[in-house]
Amino acid sequence: MTIWFREHLFALKSAFTHLRAGTGNFLFNVLVVAIALALPIAGLTLIENIRPISSQLSIEPEISIFVSPDTTRESATALSVPIKRLLKDDGISGKLTFTPKEKALASMQDSSSLAEVLSTLGGNPLPDAYVLSLSNNDATQLDSLVEQLKSLQDVDVVQVDSAWVKRLAALVQIFQMGLLFMAITLGVVVIVVVFNATRLQVISHQAEISVTRLLGATNSFIHRPYYYTGALLGLLAGVLALGAIAASLQPLNKAIAEFAKLYASEFRLTPLGFLPSLALLAFSMLLGLCGAYLSVRRQLARAS
Amino acid sequence: MIEFDNVSKLYAGDACALRNISLTIPDGELIFLAGPSGAGKSTLLKMIAGIEKPTSGRVMVNGQDMSKLQAGSLPYLRRKLGLILQDQKLLNDRSILSNVMLPLIVTGAAPQEAESRAHVALEKVGLLEKANALPLTLSGGEQQRVAIARAIVNRPKIILADEPTAFLDRDNANKVLSALKAFQSAGVTCLISSHDEQFLDQASRVIYLSNGQIVDAWNASHIAA
Repeated sequence: MTIWFREHLFALKSAFTHLRAGTGNFLFNVLVVAIALALPIAGLTLIENIRPISSQLSIEPEISIFVSPDTTRESATALSVPIKRLLKDDGISGKLTFTPKEKALASMQDSSSLAEVLSTLGGNPLPDAYVLSLSNNDATQLDSLVEQLKSLQDVDVVQVDSAWVKRLAALVQIFQMGLLFMAITLGVVVIVVVFNATRLQVISHQAEISVTRLLGATNSFIHRPYYYTGALLGLLAGVLALGAIAASLQPLNKAIAEFAKLYASEFRLTPLGFLPSLALLAFSMLLGLCGAYLSVRRQLARAS
Repeated sequence: MIEFDNVSKLYAGDACALRNISLTIPDGELIFLAGPSGAGKSTLLKMIAGIEKPTSGRVMVNGQDMSKLQAGSLPYLRRKLGLILQDQKLLNDRSILSNVMLPLIVTGAAPQEAESRAHVALEKVGLLEKANALPLTLSGGEQQRVAIARAIVNRPKIILADEPTAFLDRDNANKVLSALKAFQSAGVTCLISSHDEQFLDQASRVIYLSNGQIVDAWNASHIAA
Protein backbone atom coordinates (compact mmCIF):
# COMPACT_ATOMS: atom_id res chain seq x y z
CA MET A 1 0.00 0.00 0.00
CA THR A 2 2.83 2.38 0.91
CA ILE A 3 4.70 1.56 -2.30
CA TRP A 4 1.48 2.02 -4.30
CA PHE A 5 0.89 5.43 -2.68
CA ARG A 6 4.55 6.40 -3.19
CA GLU A 7 4.46 5.44 -6.87
CA HIS A 8 1.32 7.51 -7.41
CA LEU A 9 2.85 10.47 -5.61
CA PHE A 10 5.93 10.20 -7.82
CA ALA A 11 3.70 9.98 -10.92
CA LEU A 12 1.83 13.11 -9.83
CA LYS A 13 5.11 14.95 -9.26
CA SER A 14 6.35 13.81 -12.68
CA ALA A 15 3.10 15.02 -14.24
CA PHE A 16 3.65 18.48 -12.73
CA THR A 17 7.28 18.44 -13.89
CA HIS A 18 6.08 17.67 -17.44
CA LEU A 19 3.55 20.50 -17.17
CA ARG A 20 6.16 22.99 -15.98
CA ALA A 21 8.28 22.10 -18.99
CA GLY A 22 5.40 22.72 -21.41
CA THR A 23 3.11 25.16 -19.60
CA GLY A 24 2.15 27.09 -22.76
CA ASN A 25 1.05 24.01 -24.67
CA PHE A 26 -0.79 22.64 -21.67
CA LEU A 27 -2.74 25.86 -21.11
CA PHE A 28 -3.62 26.03 -24.79
CA ASN A 29 -4.97 22.48 -24.62
CA VAL A 30 -6.92 23.32 -21.46
CA LEU A 31 -8.50 26.23 -23.34
CA VAL A 32 -9.45 24.07 -26.34
CA VAL A 33 -10.97 21.37 -24.12
CA ALA A 34 -12.76 24.04 -22.02
CA ILE A 35 -14.37 25.48 -25.16
CA ALA A 36 -15.52 22.00 -26.18
CA LEU A 37 -16.95 21.40 -22.70
CA ALA A 38 -18.56 24.84 -22.36
CA LEU A 39 -21.29 24.20 -24.93
CA PRO A 40 -22.84 21.10 -23.31
CA ILE A 41 -22.38 22.67 -19.87
CA ALA A 42 -24.28 25.77 -21.05
CA GLY A 43 -27.06 23.55 -22.40
CA LEU A 44 -27.19 21.59 -19.18
CA THR A 45 -27.37 24.81 -17.16
CA LEU A 46 -30.32 25.91 -19.29
CA ILE A 47 -32.11 22.58 -18.84
CA GLU A 48 -31.50 22.59 -15.10
CA ASN A 49 -33.08 26.06 -14.96
CA ILE A 50 -36.08 25.19 -17.15
CA ARG A 51 -36.78 21.79 -15.63
CA PRO A 52 -38.23 23.15 -12.35
CA ILE A 53 -40.65 25.37 -14.30
CA SER A 54 -41.96 22.53 -16.42
CA SER A 55 -42.19 20.21 -13.43
CA GLN A 56 -44.06 22.81 -11.34
CA LEU A 57 -46.71 22.99 -14.04
CA SER A 58 -48.99 20.03 -14.03
CA ILE A 59 -48.57 17.88 -17.06
CA GLU A 60 -51.52 15.79 -15.91
CA PRO A 61 -54.37 16.50 -18.29
CA GLU A 62 -56.83 19.08 -17.00
CA ILE A 63 -60.13 19.58 -18.76
CA SER A 64 -62.17 22.78 -18.32
CA ILE A 65 -65.86 22.30 -18.98
CA PHE A 66 -67.72 25.58 -19.46
CA VAL A 67 -71.47 25.48 -18.91
CA SER A 68 -73.75 27.33 -21.35
CA PRO A 69 -74.33 30.90 -20.10
CA ASP A 70 -78.12 30.59 -19.99
CA THR A 71 -78.09 27.43 -17.85
CA THR A 72 -79.55 27.71 -14.38
CA ARG A 73 -77.38 27.01 -11.31
CA GLU A 74 -79.33 23.86 -10.52
CA SER A 75 -78.78 22.47 -14.03
CA ALA A 76 -75.13 23.45 -13.87
CA THR A 77 -74.53 21.64 -10.58
CA ALA A 78 -76.57 18.66 -11.81
CA LEU A 79 -74.16 18.33 -14.71
CA SER A 80 -71.65 16.68 -12.36
CA VAL A 81 -73.76 13.50 -12.41
CA PRO A 82 -73.43 12.72 -16.19
CA ILE A 83 -69.76 13.80 -16.10
CA LYS A 84 -68.97 11.37 -13.27
CA ARG A 85 -70.91 8.68 -15.07
CA LEU A 86 -68.84 9.19 -18.20
CA LEU A 87 -65.66 8.88 -16.15
CA LYS A 88 -66.91 5.71 -14.54
CA ASP A 89 -67.98 4.19 -17.87
CA ASP A 90 -64.59 4.94 -19.43
CA GLY A 91 -62.73 3.70 -16.34
CA ILE A 92 -60.97 7.03 -15.88
CA SER A 93 -60.19 8.32 -12.39
CA GLY A 94 -60.10 12.05 -11.84
CA LYS A 95 -61.07 14.93 -9.61
CA LEU A 96 -64.05 17.09 -10.57
CA THR A 97 -64.27 20.62 -9.16
CA PHE A 98 -67.19 22.97 -9.74
CA THR A 99 -66.29 26.66 -10.04
CA PRO A 100 -69.32 28.99 -9.89
CA LYS A 101 -69.10 32.01 -12.16
CA GLU A 102 -69.09 34.42 -9.16
CA LYS A 103 -66.03 32.73 -7.71
CA ALA A 104 -64.29 32.78 -11.08
CA LEU A 105 -64.96 36.50 -11.44
CA ALA A 106 -63.73 37.27 -7.92
CA SER A 107 -60.60 35.24 -8.51
CA MET A 108 -59.98 37.02 -11.79
CA GLN A 109 -60.46 40.44 -10.20
CA ASP A 110 -58.01 39.56 -7.42
CA SER A 111 -55.24 38.16 -9.47
CA SER A 112 -55.41 39.74 -12.87
CA SER A 113 -54.57 43.05 -14.40
CA LEU A 114 -57.92 42.73 -16.14
CA ALA A 115 -59.82 43.90 -13.02
CA GLU A 116 -60.30 47.37 -14.44
CA VAL A 117 -61.62 46.01 -17.73
CA LEU A 118 -63.94 43.61 -15.92
CA SER A 119 -65.41 46.45 -13.85
CA THR A 120 -66.41 48.32 -17.00
CA LEU A 121 -68.49 45.38 -18.23
CA GLY A 122 -71.14 45.94 -15.61
CA GLY A 123 -72.02 42.23 -15.29
CA ASN A 124 -70.33 38.84 -14.97
CA PRO A 125 -69.37 37.58 -18.43
CA LEU A 126 -68.01 34.30 -17.08
CA PRO A 127 -69.94 31.02 -17.15
CA ASP A 128 -70.12 28.35 -14.43
CA ALA A 129 -67.42 25.80 -15.04
CA TYR A 130 -66.01 22.44 -14.02
CA VAL A 131 -62.35 21.58 -13.83
CA LEU A 132 -61.65 17.91 -14.33
CA SER A 133 -58.12 16.81 -13.25
CA LEU A 134 -57.29 13.39 -14.62
CA SER A 135 -54.57 11.00 -13.64
CA ASN A 136 -54.76 9.22 -16.96
CA ASN A 137 -52.58 10.66 -19.71
CA ASP A 138 -53.73 8.44 -22.60
CA ALA A 139 -54.24 10.79 -25.56
CA THR A 140 -56.80 8.56 -27.36
CA GLN A 141 -58.89 8.07 -24.22
CA LEU A 142 -58.64 11.78 -23.48
CA ASP A 143 -59.87 12.75 -26.97
CA SER A 144 -62.78 10.36 -26.68
CA LEU A 145 -63.72 11.77 -23.27
CA VAL A 146 -63.58 15.34 -24.58
CA GLU A 147 -65.92 14.44 -27.45
CA GLN A 148 -68.39 12.82 -25.03
CA LEU A 149 -68.26 15.81 -22.70
CA LYS A 150 -68.99 18.16 -25.60
CA SER A 151 -72.11 16.17 -26.45
CA LEU A 152 -73.59 16.59 -22.94
CA GLN A 153 -76.56 18.90 -22.59
CA ASP A 154 -75.77 22.39 -21.15
CA VAL A 155 -72.06 22.06 -21.99
CA ASP A 156 -70.88 25.01 -24.07
CA VAL A 157 -67.10 24.61 -24.45
CA VAL A 158 -64.66 21.86 -23.44
CA GLN A 159 -61.02 22.85 -23.27
CA VAL A 160 -57.97 20.65 -22.64
CA ASP A 161 -55.54 22.83 -20.67
CA SER A 162 -52.53 20.57 -20.57
CA ALA A 163 -51.65 20.68 -24.26
CA TRP A 164 -49.13 23.53 -24.06
CA VAL A 165 -47.51 22.07 -20.96
CA LYS A 166 -47.12 18.83 -22.84
CA ARG A 167 -45.58 20.71 -25.71
CA LEU A 168 -43.10 22.37 -23.34
CA ALA A 169 -42.22 19.02 -21.79
CA ALA A 170 -41.76 17.54 -25.27
CA LEU A 171 -39.55 20.47 -26.28
CA VAL A 172 -37.43 20.04 -23.14
CA GLN A 173 -37.10 16.36 -23.97
CA ILE A 174 -36.04 17.10 -27.55
CA PHE A 175 -33.58 19.67 -26.21
CA GLN A 176 -32.24 17.06 -23.77
CA MET A 177 -31.75 14.57 -26.59
CA GLY A 178 -29.98 17.21 -28.70
CA LEU A 179 -27.82 18.08 -25.73
CA LEU A 180 -26.94 14.45 -25.16
CA PHE A 181 -25.93 14.08 -28.79
CA MET A 182 -23.87 17.27 -28.61
CA ALA A 183 -22.27 16.13 -25.34
CA ILE A 184 -21.27 12.81 -26.90
CA THR A 185 -19.82 14.53 -29.97
CA LEU A 186 -17.89 17.08 -27.92
CA GLY A 187 -16.81 14.35 -25.50
CA VAL A 188 -15.18 12.61 -28.45
CA VAL A 189 -13.56 15.96 -29.39
CA VAL A 190 -12.16 16.26 -25.85
CA ILE A 191 -10.76 12.72 -26.01
CA VAL A 192 -9.14 13.45 -29.38
CA VAL A 193 -7.56 16.70 -28.11
CA VAL A 194 -6.16 14.99 -24.99
CA PHE A 195 -5.06 12.02 -27.09
CA ASN A 196 -3.03 14.29 -29.34
CA ALA A 197 -1.61 16.36 -26.47
CA THR A 198 -0.50 13.17 -24.71
CA ARG A 199 0.97 11.77 -27.92
CA LEU A 200 3.16 14.84 -28.31
CA GLN A 201 4.16 14.65 -24.66
CA VAL A 202 5.15 10.99 -24.97
CA ILE A 203 7.20 11.77 -28.08
CA SER A 204 9.03 14.60 -26.32
CA HIS A 205 9.82 12.31 -23.34
CA GLN A 206 10.90 9.33 -25.39
CA ALA A 207 14.48 9.47 -24.04
CA GLU A 208 13.28 9.54 -20.43
CA ILE A 209 10.89 6.66 -21.11
CA SER A 210 13.58 4.47 -22.66
CA VAL A 211 15.98 5.19 -19.76
CA THR A 212 13.44 4.36 -17.05
CA ARG A 213 12.49 1.22 -18.98
CA LEU A 214 16.15 0.12 -19.00
CA LEU A 215 16.36 0.77 -15.28
CA GLY A 216 13.51 -1.63 -14.57
CA ALA A 217 10.43 0.60 -14.64
CA THR A 218 7.17 -1.26 -15.19
CA ASN A 219 4.68 -0.10 -17.82
CA SER A 220 2.39 1.23 -15.07
CA PHE A 221 5.22 3.34 -13.68
CA ILE A 222 5.90 4.80 -17.13
CA HIS A 223 2.24 5.33 -18.08
CA ARG A 224 1.00 6.83 -14.82
CA PRO A 225 2.36 10.43 -15.14
CA TYR A 226 0.61 10.77 -18.51
CA TYR A 227 -2.67 9.55 -17.04
CA TYR A 228 -2.36 12.18 -14.33
CA THR A 229 -1.57 14.87 -16.91
CA GLY A 230 -4.63 13.90 -18.99
CA ALA A 231 -6.90 13.83 -15.95
CA LEU A 232 -5.52 17.17 -14.78
CA LEU A 233 -6.10 18.65 -18.23
CA GLY A 234 -9.72 17.46 -18.18
CA LEU A 235 -10.26 18.72 -14.63
CA LEU A 236 -8.82 22.20 -15.26
CA ALA A 237 -10.77 22.49 -18.53
CA GLY A 238 -13.94 21.53 -16.63
CA VAL A 239 -13.28 24.16 -13.96
CA LEU A 240 -12.60 26.77 -16.65
CA ALA A 241 -15.76 25.86 -18.61
CA LEU A 242 -17.96 25.89 -15.48
CA GLY A 243 -16.46 29.21 -14.38
CA ALA A 244 -16.95 30.76 -17.81
CA ILE A 245 -20.60 29.66 -17.96
CA ALA A 246 -21.28 30.91 -14.42
CA ALA A 247 -19.64 34.25 -15.26
CA SER A 248 -21.61 34.61 -18.50
CA LEU A 249 -24.92 34.17 -16.63
CA GLN A 250 -24.47 37.55 -14.93
CA PRO A 251 -24.90 39.73 -18.05
CA LEU A 252 -27.41 37.26 -19.52
CA ASN A 253 -29.60 37.52 -16.42
CA LYS A 254 -29.87 41.28 -16.86
CA ALA A 255 -31.46 40.75 -20.26
CA ILE A 256 -33.61 37.89 -18.96
CA ALA A 257 -34.82 40.00 -16.02
CA GLU A 258 -36.15 42.67 -18.42
CA PHE A 259 -37.95 40.03 -20.46
CA ALA A 260 -39.32 38.13 -17.44
CA LYS A 261 -40.68 41.36 -15.95
CA LEU A 262 -43.10 41.57 -18.88
CA TYR A 263 -44.62 38.29 -17.65
CA ALA A 264 -44.50 39.32 -13.97
CA SER A 265 -41.87 36.64 -13.42
CA GLU A 266 -38.74 36.61 -11.33
CA PHE A 267 -37.08 34.00 -13.54
CA ARG A 268 -33.26 34.06 -13.50
CA LEU A 269 -30.68 31.59 -14.75
CA THR A 270 -28.58 30.19 -11.91
CA PRO A 271 -25.28 28.31 -12.25
CA LEU A 272 -25.27 24.54 -11.76
CA GLY A 273 -25.46 23.36 -8.16
CA PHE A 274 -22.58 21.85 -6.21
CA LEU A 275 -23.33 18.19 -6.94
CA PRO A 276 -24.01 18.56 -10.70
CA SER A 277 -20.83 20.69 -10.96
CA LEU A 278 -18.87 18.05 -9.09
CA ALA A 279 -20.27 15.35 -11.38
CA LEU A 280 -19.33 17.40 -14.44
CA LEU A 281 -15.79 17.92 -13.16
CA ALA A 282 -15.48 14.20 -12.51
CA PHE A 283 -16.77 13.51 -16.02
CA SER A 284 -14.39 15.97 -17.71
CA MET A 285 -11.53 14.48 -15.67
CA LEU A 286 -12.61 11.02 -16.84
CA LEU A 287 -12.63 12.19 -20.47
CA GLY A 288 -9.08 13.53 -20.04
CA LEU A 289 -7.98 10.28 -18.44
CA CYS A 290 -9.62 8.31 -21.22
CA GLY A 291 -7.82 10.33 -23.95
CA ALA A 292 -4.48 9.96 -22.16
CA TYR A 293 -5.03 6.23 -21.58
CA LEU A 294 -5.76 5.52 -25.24
CA SER A 295 -2.84 7.65 -26.39
CA VAL A 296 -0.26 6.22 -23.97
CA ARG A 297 -1.30 2.64 -24.67
CA ARG A 298 -0.97 3.22 -28.40
CA GLN A 299 2.29 5.20 -28.30
CA LEU A 300 4.13 3.04 -25.81
CA ALA A 301 2.93 -0.21 -27.34
CA ARG A 302 4.51 1.00 -30.56
CA ALA A 303 7.71 2.07 -28.77
CA SER A 304 8.16 -1.25 -26.99
CA MET B 1 25.50 -17.13 -13.54
CA ILE B 2 25.05 -16.17 -17.19
CA GLU B 3 24.87 -18.81 -19.92
CA PHE B 4 24.76 -18.50 -23.68
CA ASP B 5 23.82 -21.75 -25.37
CA ASN B 6 24.48 -21.74 -29.12
CA VAL B 7 23.02 -18.22 -29.47
CA SER B 8 22.66 -16.50 -32.82
CA LYS B 9 21.17 -13.15 -33.68
CA LEU B 10 20.11 -12.18 -37.17
CA TYR B 11 18.83 -8.74 -38.06
CA ALA B 12 16.69 -7.85 -41.07
CA GLY B 13 18.56 -8.29 -44.34
CA ASP B 14 20.36 -11.36 -42.92
CA ALA B 15 22.94 -9.22 -41.08
CA CYS B 16 24.37 -11.57 -38.47
CA ALA B 17 25.25 -9.91 -35.16
CA LEU B 18 26.02 -13.11 -33.22
CA ARG B 19 26.78 -16.57 -34.52
CA ASN B 20 26.53 -19.76 -32.42
CA ILE B 21 27.78 -18.22 -29.19
CA SER B 22 28.19 -20.63 -26.25
CA LEU B 23 29.50 -19.10 -23.09
CA THR B 24 29.28 -19.52 -19.33
CA ILE B 25 30.02 -16.67 -16.95
CA PRO B 26 30.15 -17.62 -13.26
CA ASP B 27 29.25 -15.13 -10.53
CA GLY B 28 31.87 -12.59 -9.48
CA GLU B 29 33.92 -12.53 -12.69
CA LEU B 30 35.22 -9.41 -14.42
CA ILE B 31 35.04 -10.15 -18.12
CA PHE B 32 36.14 -8.00 -20.97
CA LEU B 33 34.40 -8.41 -24.31
CA ALA B 34 36.99 -7.28 -26.79
CA GLY B 35 36.92 -6.90 -30.52
CA PRO B 36 36.45 -4.34 -33.25
CA SER B 37 33.32 -2.25 -33.72
CA GLY B 38 30.48 -4.34 -35.09
CA ALA B 39 31.88 -7.56 -33.61
CA GLY B 40 28.69 -8.21 -31.62
CA LYS B 41 29.81 -7.04 -28.13
CA SER B 42 26.88 -4.69 -27.56
CA THR B 43 24.36 -7.23 -28.89
CA LEU B 44 25.67 -9.82 -26.44
CA LEU B 45 25.26 -7.38 -23.52
CA LYS B 46 21.80 -6.33 -24.73
CA MET B 47 20.69 -9.96 -24.73
CA ILE B 48 21.58 -10.30 -21.07
CA ALA B 49 19.51 -7.19 -20.32
CA GLY B 50 16.59 -8.44 -22.42
CA ILE B 51 16.90 -5.52 -24.84
CA GLU B 52 17.53 -7.94 -27.70
CA LYS B 53 16.23 -11.47 -28.11
CA PRO B 54 18.19 -14.28 -29.77
CA THR B 55 17.06 -15.54 -33.16
CA SER B 56 18.10 -19.01 -32.04
CA GLY B 57 19.71 -20.54 -28.97
CA ARG B 58 19.12 -19.80 -25.32
CA VAL B 59 20.29 -17.08 -22.93
CA MET B 60 20.00 -17.86 -19.22
CA VAL B 61 20.46 -15.12 -16.60
CA ASN B 62 20.44 -16.24 -12.97
CA GLY B 63 18.60 -19.39 -14.02
CA GLN B 64 15.99 -17.48 -16.01
CA ASP B 65 15.57 -18.30 -19.71
CA MET B 66 15.38 -14.84 -21.30
CA SER B 67 13.39 -16.01 -24.32
CA LYS B 68 10.69 -17.41 -22.03
CA LEU B 69 10.56 -14.33 -19.84
CA GLN B 70 7.14 -12.64 -19.83
CA ALA B 71 7.14 -8.95 -20.83
CA GLY B 72 5.77 -8.06 -17.40
CA SER B 73 8.66 -9.83 -15.64
CA LEU B 74 11.42 -8.10 -17.60
CA PRO B 75 11.47 -4.91 -15.47
CA TYR B 76 11.97 -7.00 -12.33
CA LEU B 77 14.95 -8.79 -13.91
CA ARG B 78 16.46 -5.47 -15.02
CA ARG B 79 16.30 -4.21 -11.45
CA LYS B 80 18.91 -6.86 -10.62
CA LEU B 81 21.22 -5.59 -13.35
CA GLY B 82 23.39 -2.49 -13.47
CA LEU B 83 23.53 -1.03 -16.96
CA ILE B 84 26.25 1.35 -18.08
CA LEU B 85 25.81 2.45 -21.65
CA GLN B 86 28.24 4.09 -23.99
CA ASP B 87 26.23 7.32 -24.17
CA GLN B 88 25.37 7.16 -20.44
CA LYS B 89 21.69 7.95 -21.09
CA LEU B 90 21.46 10.42 -18.23
CA LEU B 91 18.38 12.62 -17.97
CA ASN B 92 19.78 16.07 -18.65
CA ASP B 93 16.89 17.99 -17.09
CA ARG B 94 17.45 16.35 -13.69
CA SER B 95 20.23 16.65 -11.17
CA ILE B 96 22.94 14.04 -10.80
CA LEU B 97 21.34 12.96 -7.54
CA SER B 98 17.91 12.50 -9.19
CA ASN B 99 19.51 10.47 -11.98
CA VAL B 100 21.20 8.16 -9.51
CA MET B 101 18.04 7.86 -7.41
CA LEU B 102 15.97 6.79 -10.43
CA PRO B 103 16.64 2.99 -10.31
CA LEU B 104 15.45 3.02 -6.69
CA ILE B 105 12.45 5.24 -7.39
CA VAL B 106 11.18 2.86 -10.10
CA THR B 107 11.16 0.06 -7.53
CA GLY B 108 9.00 2.17 -5.21
CA ALA B 109 11.74 2.89 -2.66
CA ALA B 110 11.10 5.68 -0.15
CA PRO B 111 12.59 8.99 -1.39
CA GLN B 112 14.67 9.41 1.80
CA GLU B 113 16.14 5.94 1.47
CA ALA B 114 16.76 6.42 -2.26
CA GLU B 115 18.49 9.73 -1.57
CA SER B 116 20.77 8.33 1.11
CA ARG B 117 21.72 5.32 -1.06
CA ALA B 118 22.33 7.62 -4.04
CA HIS B 119 24.65 9.72 -1.86
CA VAL B 120 26.62 6.57 -0.96
CA ALA B 121 26.86 5.55 -4.64
CA LEU B 122 28.01 9.03 -5.67
CA GLU B 123 30.58 9.00 -2.88
CA LYS B 124 31.96 5.68 -4.21
CA VAL B 125 32.55 7.22 -7.65
CA GLY B 126 33.91 10.46 -6.12
CA LEU B 127 31.11 12.74 -7.25
CA LEU B 128 29.22 13.48 -4.05
CA GLU B 129 30.09 17.16 -4.15
CA LYS B 130 28.41 17.43 -7.58
CA ALA B 131 25.17 15.77 -6.50
CA ASN B 132 23.07 18.82 -7.34
CA ALA B 133 24.74 19.62 -10.64
CA LEU B 134 23.07 18.91 -13.98
CA PRO B 135 24.67 16.20 -16.18
CA LEU B 136 25.59 18.58 -18.97
CA THR B 137 27.80 20.61 -16.60
CA LEU B 138 30.02 17.55 -16.03
CA SER B 139 32.89 16.25 -18.15
CA GLY B 140 32.51 13.04 -20.16
CA GLY B 141 34.43 11.07 -17.53
CA GLU B 142 32.31 12.43 -14.72
CA GLN B 143 29.14 11.61 -16.63
CA GLN B 144 30.35 8.06 -17.08
CA ARG B 145 31.02 7.83 -13.33
CA VAL B 146 27.46 9.08 -12.69
CA ALA B 147 26.25 6.26 -14.94
CA ILE B 148 28.28 3.84 -12.82
CA ALA B 149 26.78 5.26 -9.63
CA ARG B 150 23.32 4.80 -11.15
CA ALA B 151 24.18 1.24 -12.14
CA ILE B 152 25.37 0.23 -8.67
CA VAL B 153 22.85 2.10 -6.52
CA ASN B 154 20.45 -0.84 -6.71
CA ARG B 155 23.19 -3.23 -5.49
CA PRO B 156 22.97 -5.34 -8.66
CA LYS B 157 24.36 -8.85 -9.00
CA ILE B 158 25.51 -8.17 -12.55
CA ILE B 159 26.94 -5.00 -14.09
CA LEU B 160 26.85 -4.68 -17.87
CA ALA B 161 29.05 -1.89 -19.19
CA ASP B 162 28.99 -1.11 -22.90
CA GLU B 163 32.15 0.77 -23.91
CA PRO B 164 32.36 2.64 -20.59
CA THR B 165 35.75 4.09 -21.43
CA ALA B 166 34.97 5.22 -24.95
CA PHE B 167 35.69 8.94 -25.44
CA LEU B 168 37.52 9.11 -22.09
CA ASP B 169 41.16 10.04 -21.59
CA ARG B 170 43.41 7.46 -19.93
CA ASP B 171 43.15 9.04 -16.47
CA ASN B 172 39.32 9.09 -16.49
CA ALA B 173 39.17 5.63 -18.07
CA ASN B 174 41.34 4.27 -15.22
CA LYS B 175 39.03 5.80 -12.63
CA VAL B 176 36.00 4.19 -14.27
CA LEU B 177 37.69 0.78 -14.45
CA SER B 178 38.94 1.02 -10.87
CA ALA B 179 35.38 1.65 -9.75
CA LEU B 180 34.16 -1.42 -11.67
CA LYS B 181 37.00 -3.56 -10.28
CA ALA B 182 35.99 -2.53 -6.77
CA PHE B 183 32.50 -3.91 -7.37
CA GLN B 184 33.85 -7.12 -8.84
CA SER B 185 35.92 -7.66 -5.72
CA ALA B 186 32.69 -7.26 -3.73
CA GLY B 187 31.22 -10.25 -5.65
CA VAL B 188 29.46 -8.49 -8.50
CA THR B 189 29.74 -10.01 -11.98
CA CYS B 190 31.01 -7.36 -14.41
CA LEU B 191 30.83 -7.64 -18.18
CA ILE B 192 32.61 -4.82 -19.94
CA SER B 193 32.68 -4.40 -23.66
CA SER B 194 35.57 -2.41 -25.07
CA HIS B 195 37.51 -2.15 -28.26
CA ASP B 196 40.32 -0.46 -26.31
CA GLU B 197 42.87 -3.19 -25.64
CA GLN B 198 45.03 -1.23 -23.20
CA PHE B 199 42.79 -2.20 -20.24
CA LEU B 200 42.51 -5.92 -20.96
CA ASP B 201 45.09 -6.83 -18.33
CA GLN B 202 42.67 -5.76 -15.60
CA ALA B 203 40.15 -8.50 -16.49
CA SER B 204 39.86 -12.00 -15.03
CA ARG B 205 38.86 -13.19 -18.51
CA VAL B 206 38.87 -11.69 -21.98
CA ILE B 207 36.51 -12.87 -24.71
CA TYR B 208 37.46 -11.73 -28.17
CA LEU B 209 34.64 -11.38 -30.68
CA SER B 210 34.84 -10.84 -34.38
CA ASN B 211 32.00 -10.92 -36.93
CA GLY B 212 29.62 -12.18 -34.25
CA GLN B 213 31.75 -15.16 -33.24
CA ILE B 214 34.04 -15.89 -30.31
CA VAL B 215 37.41 -16.14 -31.98
CA ASP B 216 39.56 -16.26 -28.86
CA ALA B 217 39.35 -16.25 -25.07
CA TRP B 218 42.04 -15.82 -22.44
CA ASN B 219 41.97 -16.05 -18.69
CA ALA B 220 43.85 -13.80 -16.27
CA SER B 221 46.97 -16.02 -16.07
CA HIS B 222 47.30 -15.98 -19.85
CA ILE B 223 46.97 -12.17 -19.86
CA ALA B 224 49.54 -11.82 -17.09
CA ALA B 225 51.95 -14.03 -19.03
